[in-house]
Amino acid sequence: MLEILAQTGFNALYAASYISLVAVGLVLIFGVMGVVNFAHGELFMAGAYAVVALYADLHMPFLVAVGIGLAFVGLLGLLMERALFRPLRDNPLGGLVASIGFLMILQSLAVMGFGVRMEHIPPVTQDVIAFSEKVRLPVARLYVIIAAVVLLSALWFFLKRTRFGWALRASAQDPEAAALQGISINQTARIAMFIGAGLAGVAGALTAPLVSVNPFMGHSVIITAFIVIIVGGVGSLEGAIIASVAYAFIHTVVTTFWDGVLADIVGLMLMLIVLIVRPTGLMGSADRA
Amino acid sequence: MLLELRDIAVNYGQVSALRRLSMSVPDGAIVTIIGGNGAGKTTTLRAMSGLAKLAAGEILFEGERIDTLPADRIVARGIAHVPEGRRIFPDMTVEENLRTGAFLRRDKAGVESDLDKVYHRFPRLKERRTQRAQTMSGGEQQMLAIGRALMARPKLLLMDEPSMGLAPVIVEEIARIIEEINADGVPVVLVEQNAGLALDLASHAYVLETGNLALEGPAHELHDNEHVRAAYLGV
Ligand SMILES: Nc1ncnc2c1ncn2[C@@H]1O[C@H](COP(=O)(O)OP(=O)(O)OP(=O)(O)O)[C@@H](O)[C@H]1O
Ligand SMILES: [Mg+2]
Repeated sequence: MLEILAQTGFNALYAASYISLVAVGLVLIFGVMGVVNFAHGELFMAGAYAVVALYADLHMPFLVAVGIGLAFVGLLGLLMERALFRPLRDNPLGGLVASIGFLMILQSLAVMGFGVRMEHIPPVTQDVIAFSEKVRLPVARLYVIIAAVVLLSALWFFLKRTRFGWALRASAQDPEAAALQGISINQTARIAMFIGAGLAGVAGALTAPLVSVNPFMGHSVIITAFIVIIVGGVGSLEGAIIASVAYAFIHTVVTTFWDGVLADIVGLMLMLIVLIVRPTGLMGSADRA
Repeated sequence: MLLELRDIAVNYGQVSALRRLSMSVPDGAIVTIIGGNGAGKTTTLRAMSGLAKLAAGEILFEGERIDTLPADRIVARGIAHVPEGRRIFPDMTVEENLRTGAFLRRDKAGVESDLDKVYHRFPRLKERRTQRAQTMSGGEQQMLAIGRALMARPKLLLMDEPSMGLAPVIVEEIARIIEEINADGVPVVLVEQNAGLALDLASHAYVLETGNLALEGPAHELHDNEHVRAAYLGV
């Protein structure tokens, strides 16, 4: 029994790691720019395909492929900011609709480039850390966990300790007041999009050898997206990040111990409870005009 | 002239908020804009700091046009704006709010010494430096908003109703602080509904009525003006 618990705990930790990366990017974009990025799951997918192309097909080293994947998806984020979200800034629904359009474009490109088959990628490492007969942690999964911890810590440091991190927090709390301190809204939007998209891309890239990569793999992210944004609320970026990591953990724990449908139900219930108790979100406190 | 508005007009969609307004702020002065609700006072300040775009006219700061610049570039030129309703960053601490005011500055030593000055001017802020700004009283928040603007070491300070919603003692304190700031060499444009206070502090005054300039002149003259006394001073 204890062994099953330990094993499931490892599985949950692994899933929570990459879902956190995706969710945190999403709340970052929502917090700073006020748009729900529906294409976020497809950015995750694009990161996975970067690894398919560079690592599986072109035989580049895995970490190089992941690095390029991060940069590539980050640049996709910059493109979205410039081409979609900036022109539609005064139109909250416009950004959402445009991101749905972009989602479809990315999916079509993936289908055109790679077909609809499932890609199975050669494993990066077959090593397994065996704690006992039944408790085993594949090293490939450990890498994902480590990467998530490192990236999220780096993001935390960035937000708390650096000049541009402060600028991001200030624009999330009050974009107009931030502009009055000399903070460029275009610049914070670019930074948020690059980091947010890059984190989704790196999550897709890291997990690509562990899942089946296909053009529609981003779908399941959408529901997570919604819940995380509502639970995280607006205002405090740090709060939103804590909320999204917590949500990712609860969701994956329920999924691994019971099943995914129940996890979605629990997630939606949590969202409703939060909405009833604190309409501004769990951590959000600033009401954004 | 430090700041000049030339025939500016601002519209919100179909609504015209300001029509052909001209105004000038000499270096060193306190200039006030008074007027009733919806007269266009806030809109005038927002035009100065780049938050509202002009439909017509131009704004010159130190002889150069600034009305085409985005708000963050105007701050870089030296205009700091204490907005209506304070608009402090609620989830940041007091000190983080103040340091955010110095966002564009690269002179670390200068920033630290200005932080000391702000704490000296507002001892209450120093006591609460690690407190979340949201949890402070209205008067403290107003002091924080003023302190944050001073951290930019501005050449011109715009203040929108700093007395709003504050108890009379605190209003007195704010008035004294505005005088001190000005005595230290920072010119101020002060928007107020509290016309008595504004006319006492300012050397020159503009009276706005529904988007039009109704009157202007030396503050002491407007203080004695029949119309101003009846409409704004309640005597
Ligand atoms: N965002 C906006 N959208 C539409 N109309 C606006 C907006 N902001 C201001 N207005 C209108 O512009 C006019 C001037 O408003 P403004 O806020 O400048 O007045 P004010 O003198 O600052 O008033 P108060 O003393 O109440 O703050 C008003 O008629 C107001 O209704
Ligand atoms: Mg106003």
